[in-house]
Amino acid sequence: MLEARAFEPAFLQKLDGLVLGTRRARTQRAGQRVVGRHQGGGIEPENFREYSPGDDLRFLDWNAYARLDDLTIRTFRAERQLEITIMIDASASMAVPADDDKLGLALTLGAGLAFIGMNENDPVRLVAFAGRRAGTRIETTPFRRRRETYIDFRPFVSTLKSGGETRISDAVGELLQERRAPGMVIVISDYLVSPGDYEEALGRLLGVGHEVKALHVMGDREATGNYPPGAYRVRDSESGEFRDVVFGPAAAHACRRRAADHAERLSAFCTRRGIMYAPAFGVSHLDDIMAREFPRLGVIN
Amino acid sequence: MGLLNPLNLLYALSLAALVAIYLRALSRPTLEVSSLMLFEEVPAPVAKSRLLRVDRFFWLEALALGALTFAVAGLYLRVHQPVGRNHRRALVFDLGAAMGATDDDGSAHPGSRLDEARGIAEKIIANAPVGDRFTVSGYALEAETIHAPGGDPHEARDALAALAPQAVAARPAALRAALMRARGADQIDLFADRPPSAAAIDDAGLAGRLNFHQVGAPAPNLAIVSLDAGVPHSTVGRCVVRNFSNRPQYCDLVIEAAGREVFHSTLIAEPRAEIVVPFGPLPAGGLVKARITSHDALAADNQRFAFAPSIAQAHALVLSRDAAVRDDLARIVLAINPNFMVTAADPLRPGSFNPSQHFDLAVIHDNAGRGVNADARLLIFPEPPLNGSKLPQLVPVTGSVTLAEMQEREGSGSLSAPVLLGPARILALPPWMEPLARGVSVGEHQSFPLAAFGYDGNVAVGVLAFDVRDHLLLDPDRMDALVTAIDLLHRLVAPRDVLIEPTGAFVTATAGAHPRLRAPDGATRVLTPDQWGRVRFRTLQAGRYLITNDGPAVAVYANYYDAGESDLSTPAGVAAATSPSAPTATAGAARLTVEPIAIPLIVLALIALLVESVMLAQRAIRWRTARV
Repeated sequence: MLEARAFEPAFLQKLDGLVLGTRRARTQRAGQRVVGRHQGGGIEPENFREYSPGDDLRFLDWNAYARLDDLTIRTFRAERQLEITIMIDASASMAVPADDDKLGLALTLGAGLAFIGMNENDPVRLVAFAGRRAGTRIETTPFRRRRETYIDFRPFVSTLKSGGETRISDAVGELLQERRAPGMVIVISDYLVSPGDYEEALGRLLGVGHEVKALHVMGDREATGNYPPGAYRVRDSESGEFRDVVFGPAAAHACRRRAADHAERLSAFCTRRGIMYAPAFGVSHLDDIMAREFPRLGVIN
Repeated sequence: MGLLNPLNLLYALSLAALVAIYLRALSRPTLEVSSLMLFEEVPAPVAKSRLLRVDRFFWLEALALGALTFAVAGLYLRVHQPVGRNHRRALVFDLGAAMGATDDDGSAHPGSRLDEARGIAEKIIANAPVGDRFTVSGYALEAETIHAPGGDPHEARDALAALAPQAVAARPAALRAALMRARGADQIDLFADRPPSAAAIDDAGLAGRLNFHQVGAPAPNLAIVSLDAGVPHSTVGRCVVRNFSNRPQYCDLVIEAAGREVFHSTLIAEPRAEIVVPFGPLPAGGLVKARITSHDALAADNQRFAFAPSIAQAHALVLSRDAAVRDDLARIVLAINPNFMVTAADPLRPGSFNPSQHFDLAVIHDNAGRGVNADARLLIFPEPPLNGSKLPQLVPVTGSVTLAEMQEREGSGSLSAPVLLGPARILALPPWMEPLARGVSVGEHQSFPLAAFGYDGNVAVGVLAFDVRDHLLLDPDRMDALVTAIDLLHRLVAPRDVLIEPTGAFVTATAGAHPRLRAPDGATRVLTPDQWGRVRFRTLQAGRYLITNDGPAVAVYANYYDAGESDLSTPAGVAAATSPSAPTATAGAARLTVEPIAIPLIVLALIALLVESVMLAQRAIRWRTARV
């Protein structure tokens, strides 16, 4: 399985030192950290102010109260961190064509990006989503910051199974119910849904202040239409609908054109909405995608 | 429309197999894809999924299977097919002697009756549609197929040209056989000078298919009924001429003996009467020929041959222990040829005849006849071998019966009533002898020869197996025994190089190596002799047959006369009165026939499969794939 590569030392070694590209300021470490203005629960004192009811008494400066008899609250400079949520499409369409192993590609990319995010001690979590009859199913891992805990993603990555329909907007809606601080959301999917669905989903993520990256995963076969020639009945893996198709050169050309149109439309939407769009077509191109395409597209620095 | 074997409709269950195949086709390779939206622009035929794909291929294959099923079940059509289209037609000709008769009026049909029939048949062939097949057959003594079924009219005409009348009377059995052979034809044309019997048509089951063409008109005919040469210098000969006409007829009668005309006179024969013309006595023995030189309708019965015994004095020996038998046999021998000097002897009395004397004929009764020197021997009631005797017998005796009866005799065939004889010996005939009469022991069914004749080298040998004691040969109630004895004596005293036989008889003659037979009409053919140098053939023409070989030639004179066949005066109306009602013209009528349509059904199935193959090939080319 391709997702096993995500935990191979050689693969992780290539990712060591990479940083997720982001337009936000973040706490920098070892000269790279950028000090933000956000006041929070850091350890570095920042200022004093008068106590007002409701303040945490733990931060009351008792020495100043003893000497000056004034209630003074100490404030600290908070560290600026970016929560990274990596949403992985686990619908049935990610499992076909079987030899394309799109789900494996998506998991490998997601885990790799998670590893890169953990390089900055940013909290990272993986979210798998797929539509079910009872609603959208979301499986979420806890946020993990330190690289030492990267291995804890392994059970999630290795046991994730595909199934159900692709409902990106429903998954995003369910995710946003957590009302977390804006961070970075990376959506990895084949986006084989109606344009309205993914446009709504990505728009809602943008609406709550998330920085959104759209990774478009497609298999080699479905991207090129390289099916064995002959008469077939094709079955939609999610809807279960059938259709009689005769594969041949003409059919392959039509498939390629349709896949290109689909990717072009998604790319155009992302460009229009300021979303970073990165195609990842083909398992065989995994190394090129991680080493060349993602840096070129600014997914990682 | 019907089915030859409706059970074969069970093959229609193959249609269920076809449906199963199409249901199976629904499970054509199913490919699971991520989304059908990627295939919206694929230019493939979009077929609606359903339980059974009833497309053009299904109907073509169902058509092919259905056609094959009906072909196997034997679907046929009942069609009204007009006679004469691709039909088998049989042309059956009477080849009896009367068909060679010519009409003396000379108006309508100058040729013979067979020529008239041939002309009608040629018109039938000429007017027949292309594709009709003709069979030409004839009958007289036997039925024979001249031309096998064929569609070439030229070959049929050649077969017609080869037809020739025979100097024999057409036998009813031959007519039945010919009609039986022709009953496979769709239409039968029978050409004869007299209508067939209704029984013959009914036996062949030809009602409605037989067209009878009666040829010839009543014609006067004179025939030589018999010719008795008499005894030269002794008795007069007699020639009997019969007038079959209803009017008096002139008759020029010429009688020749040894090549010289001994009688020539013009006679007037009364209507349907016989005249006996005496002539002679002849000055010498030899061949006698009588002929009618005046014209009449039938020439085959206008000549007749007989043989006059030699005037040279001949010696005959009658050897018997019974004095009455010796007396009877001597009388018979003298009746055949008064010139015989007959010696009657008792074998038990030594010196009753001179053993060294040479006899022209020896008639030996109930005795082996050893020591008798004769050119011809007639063994009567041959003596069985003595106990312990190893001397070879000329005609071996294997047994005896106490009471025998004659059932068949050459020339007469099966006797209408068996002739009761006395005791008889059972003979094992040597291969050079031919039986002339056969009979059985009373109460039994195993037949054995009663009379036989043959040549043992140069010695003519005849044998009568029955005893002739008690004046059996002179008993008027047992004339067949006497006739058989006389016939044997005639054969014994006749020269070997001159044979006189009735037409239609099988003639056995002794010939040398490489014998050739020349018929009266001049046709020549090669005969194959058997191991004893004998040849056997049948005389179907009246006149002289000549067997030539390396040695002396043998002449066989065939006499024809048949009262029924020679009677040409029967008017057509009278004949029609006895004709069956069935043989009416049916030409041109439509006939209900059964036409199997297996071949068209198979062709239909093949066309359906071919069209399906073409459609599949076109689809494969259009989609550029072999999986269609």
